[in-house]
Amino acid sequence: MINFSEHKDFEVNSGNLKNVRTFARGLFEKSEYLQNYQEELVLALAEAAQNIVKHAYNGKASNDTMRIKISYTEGLLEIELFDKGKPVVPENIKPRNLDDIKAGGLGTFFIGQIMDEVIFKTSKVDWVNHLILKKQF
Amino acid sequence: MSYKVLEENNIATVYLDGEIDMDVTDKAKEVIIPLIEAGKEVHINLKDVQYMDSSGISVLIESHQKGQEMNTRVVLKEISKSVLKVIMMAKLEQILIIE
Repeated sequence: MINFSEHKDFEVNSGNLKNVRTFARGLFEKSEYLQNYQEELVLALAEAAQNIVKHAYNGKASNDTMRIKISYTEGLLEIELFDKGKPVVPENIKPRNLDDIKAGGLGTFFIGQIMDEVIFKTSKVDWVNHLILKKQF
Repeated sequence: MSYKVLEENNIATVYLDGEIDMDVTDKAKEVIIPLIEAGKEVHINLKDVQYMDSSGISVLIESHQKGQEMNTRVVLKEISKSVLKVIMMAKLEQILIIE
């Protein structure tokens, strides 16, 4: 089984979401297990990165960077996102009610569907928000 | 994302291509919504869309709702496998018009 841990920083802007996906795809292709779930995993990560641009930075491009760290150890995938934007209030994050036909909250719903665990932290010294997405394979 | 629009009689077919995320949703809406507002039946062909996230899905939802408002059909055509997976994850396959 291949284990890895890599990170990369990206300037916070919507144009970089494509680069975030490219970075993730390159890593997920390293493992046969991850490769089988690549589309879903890339979607979960991209939705979380999009939430940083959209909510932590109110959709405005910034010179700040966000850090994406992807680790795969003994079948446990951990995707971590760090940013210096507006602090996230976890209680305010609600997935979309599926009976309500609108797009808001859909990204959070997708993340919950794809990943096993979603953890918000705000304790990192160099960052404001720290989101951890976990999935066991 | 790139696109082309073909119009025949009162049907406008919008062919979208590439990856549809937050960065290109305004562009997609600028193409699709005016066609619906003009009262055309709009077909959105998604066979060449390799990736779509929740922002892309929002374009489909808004287009569908605008179609209802204008009393015209917005139909999704030739949906790629990856996009269909996301539509189904959002449980929208019974709501959006898919042919």
